[in-house]
Amino acid sequence: MLTATGLAKRHREASRALFTDLAFTVAAGEIVALVGESGIGKSTLLNCIAGLDTPDGGAIAIGSPAVDIVRLGEAARAALRARSIGFVFQAFHVLPTLTVAQNIGVPLLLAGVPAAEHASRTQALLTGVGLPGFGDRWPASLSGGELQRVAIARALVHRPRLILADEPTGNLDPRTAGQVLTLLLERVREQRASALIVTHSRHVAESCDRILTLTPQGLE
Amino acid sequence: MRTLAAWLIRAQFRSRRAATLLSMLAIALGVALGYSIHLINDAALADFSRAMKTVQGEPDAVIAARDSAGSVPLPLVDEIAGDPAVLVAAAVIETRVRIDDLRTPVRLIGIDLFTAAAMMPGLLPRDAERAATGGILAGALYASPALLAEIGLQAGATLTLLRGDQRWSATIGGDLPAAGADDLLLVADIAWVQEHFGPAGAVSEVRVRLAPESDPAGWRAGVAARLPPALLLRVAQDDSERASNLSRAYRVNLNVLALVALLTGAFLVFATQLTAVAQRSTHFALLGVLGLPPRMRLLLVLLEGLAIGLPGALLGLVLGYALALAFTQLLGGDLGGGYFSGKVPLIVPQLLPASGFLLLGCAASLTGAAYPAYLNLRQPLVEALNNGFTARPQAVRSRRRQLLLPASLALLAGGLLQLPPLSGLPLAAYAAIALVLLIGVAGAPLLTQEIFGRAARLRLPATQRIALQNVAQAPLMAQVAASGLIVSFALTASMVIMVSSFRVAVDHWLDHVLPAPLYLRGKASPLPQELLTALERADAPFLRVERSAYASLTLDPRRPAVALLVRELDRRDPAARLPFTGAVLVPPPEMPVVWISEAMQEIYRIVPGQSLRLPLLGGDVEVFVGGVWRDYARQFGALVISRDDYQRLGGDFRPSDLALWPRPGEEAAAGEWLAPHAAAHALEVAESAGIRRLSLSIFDKSFAVTYALEAAAMVIGVFGLAVTLTASVWLRARELATLAALGFDQRMLRHALMLEGALIASVGLLIGLACGIAIGAILTHVVNPQAFHWRMPLHLPWLALLGGAVATLAAAVLASRQAAREATRLPLAQVLASSQ
Repeated sequence: MLTATGLAKRHREASRALFTDLAFTVAAGEIVALVGESGIGKSTLLNCIAGLDTPDGGAIAIGSPAVDIVRLGEAARAALRARSIGFVFQAFHVLPTLTVAQNIGVPLLLAGVPAAEHASRTQALLTGVGLPGFGDRWPASLSGGELQRVAIARALVHRPRLILADEPTGNLDPRTAGQVLTLLLERVREQRASALIVTHSRHVAESCDRILTLTPQGLE
Repeated sequence: MRTLAAWLIRAQFRSRRAATLLSMLAIALGVALGYSIHLINDAALADFSRAMKTVQGEPDAVIAARDSAGSVPLPLVDEIAGDPAVLVAAAVIETRVRIDDLRTPVRLIGIDLFTAAAMMPGLLPRDAERAATGGILAGALYASPALLAEIGLQAGATLTLLRGDQRWSATIGGDLPAAGADDLLLVADIAWVQEHFGPAGAVSEVRVRLAPESDPAGWRAGVAARLPPALLLRVAQDDSERASNLSRAYRVNLNVLALVALLTGAFLVFATQLTAVAQRSTHFALLGVLGLPPRMRLLLVLLEGLAIGLPGALLGLVLGYALALAFTQLLGGDLGGGYFSGKVPLIVPQLLPASGFLLLGCAASLTGAAYPAYLNLRQPLVEALNNGFTARPQAVRSRRRQLLLPASLALLAGGLLQLPPLSGLPLAAYAAIALVLLIGVAGAPLLTQEIFGRAARLRLPATQRIALQNVAQAPLMAQVAASGLIVSFALTASMVIMVSSFRVAVDHWLDHVLPAPLYLRGKASPLPQELLTALERADAPFLRVERSAYASLTLDPRRPAVALLVRELDRRDPAARLPFTGAVLVPPPEMPVVWISEAMQEIYRIVPGQSLRLPLLGGDVEVFVGGVWRDYARQFGALVISRDDYQRLGGDFRPSDLALWPRPGEEAAAGEWLAPHAAAHALEVAESAGIRRLSLSIFDKSFAVTYALEAAAMVIGVFGLAVTLTASVWLRARELATLAALGFDQRMLRHALMLEGALIASVGLLIGLACGIAIGAILTHVVNPQAFHWRMPLHLPWLALLGGAVATLAAAVLASRQAAREATRLPLAQVLASSQ
């Protein structure tokens, strides 16, 4: 599902290398945790995979047939993200001016999913993340855990093949974090999607199928 | 994608209702002002053309004298009428007469009933049943319905017509049914008019309709080439063009001023959209991460601009129509320029101009949204998602690069100011004015950093230091907040400077052109001989009397006629009476000399010292141009000739105006002496102080619309500051919450924000004042001479300018109280807890 080869990236301001010659794969349906010290380049690697940052060298093949996102222009990268990638962030990033249902519906609009399917898919996912009846509510009235559930629903609603999650439980208390993690993993597995989860949490990492550790020497 | 755009635009309008509505209203105001001015002028021009058509019909050509005192000899009329290409040649004699006590002279038109039926149906008389006057051929007069209403007489009544000291009585035979509702006209048989008023053996003009198979252009060219120099051939198109030219520069100027309101509206959209983009930078970044194409980030902001501009412009059209209706009902069709009568013209909205103003409103809004849209496109997604809006495109610019844009714009503006007017309009100067405004806005960040960056390093209390640092370190926000104020204050200051320069110049000019204590005017009608003779008697209480007569010369049929002033002045010392702008040249002894006004110099490109051929007194007279004098009364040019020269050329000097110097101590007696003459002949007597007062009050009235537009621009500018400051509170919510957590109480936060408002407003006003002086100089030295042919020295009314700046600063501080209030309403704990 995801194959990275020869990835290299230098720090923009300091001229030190963040990583060099990284290579790894995430198989279809596989959930992989990416761990490492703060500042080691985990988020940068995730951004490179999502086409939000460009590596100094290497290739990142996504999907089947594989497309090298590094070689794509900005508009094509955006189209690939809209079609094939779902995101979950530590800071939730739920749009406060849209209702919960509208927030979840945004990827459907971007991926060009027929309008007739929007309501049913949104409702199914709201139920799936434990928020039935929350569609018309505004994000301001939701708790952190509920916001992250909305974000998970948004990441999955357009049925992407790859989920990228950056510290998805970092802003939550341990109990809520546990619930949200379970939910995320269940829904990803249910959709048979692949996932790469950046985390500092040992518990989260151990819940994944495989752990990749980013060190100054490379991936272990 | 359309659904997403609709969601986001709706959400944006919901969350920023006040700012969006203000921007919309600003666009509406600009469009409304521009559109209403267009509608009023259009209606006044249409009214003018209609009145002209009533009197003149729709001839293929008109042959007339260039000199208003001249005429077309009858043999030429016969020759034209006998031309096989001519279907109808209608001779007309037109003069101005007074009726009994009516103070304003009316037009008396002598027509030939048979040719008028074919050429000028609007002038055809209708006999009243009970009048029994024998009809037009028996010497009856026919009055337009408006005139009948004015004099309160009906058909069958007898009228006394006055011209000079001659009187004639005639009976009203009926009315002129096709005359316009406001036309004051008298029609009589051409032979009757000629017998009583002249000219003998000639007519005022001949209106020609050509046979259908003739070649109008060829015929006109042939006849024009054969005409003596004292006559001209003009076409209906010349008349419309002349009517339009009469007020064209004034109309364009008013429209440009209305566009100023629109421009300020565009800056308000700019401020609103930039703060909206900054406020939602994480949202746009999120959408980008989720797959929103980059061009959509640009288009969404532009669409929001359009969503402000379109309803704003539509509202503006409705408001503009209502404003035009209200204005014409209250004040008639004249916007203060004095070019049209104060009649109520019919306002008729038309699709094309309405669409034009609609597009203009949308374009202004889109222009305002363009830079914020560009910045939104350029925001780095990951950084914006994590840290919000970054103003890096501005911040990283070196000082040299920051200076480059204003310096290049200044060079371009300087170049534009060297260009001559285009089609008689100062379009390049208007473009230079727009560039000066851009220079001001572009230079704001640099000035902000320079002034407040240094000030922030001083030892100051925490509140002041925070305010200074915020302004210095966020130059882009300061630029946005100050831009509306820069533009509106610059334009207002420039108008104040221009109007003040003009007023001071007019004041000085009046000193020079009103040397006598008393004036008597015959309103372009010759003064009665009886009065002139009485004035020469030893018992008349006057030390000195100077007489003058007026006529007009048509030098170019497409331009309004030039005034010819025949005055009793010494040709060796004209400077004693005329305010010359340069040297007065001594004319060759045997050559008549004229002194031309600045307008005439500009329009006809005449220079002192040259000789000039004038269509004067039925001939082609060579005159010497002895100098240029300042004239603020006649925009289309005037020339003065001494009475002696005029009479030497064979002119019949029939004075219509007098300047009178009463004997010392006999001022009251002089007024009493003149009163019965004035009453008997409906003459106007005025003291120079009264004329000065009236002139200045007309001057002030003519700029009333200008002041209204500038006031609107100022209000919009202050709103812009308030909107941006309020938005900036939300942008800096985390920073303000941190300050609160560190010990800033609500009062300190409020003070810091109000101080920021005052600092930004000060920068805006400072730059606005500098730009205002520059624009004032352009208006005074370039726009006025090019558009109106008026020159004047620059006068800076510092008291008014500084007073305006202080008042605006106070308004801006008051406006920033709203922002300060918002800051104290921030849910601080929530903001600190949130990582968004």
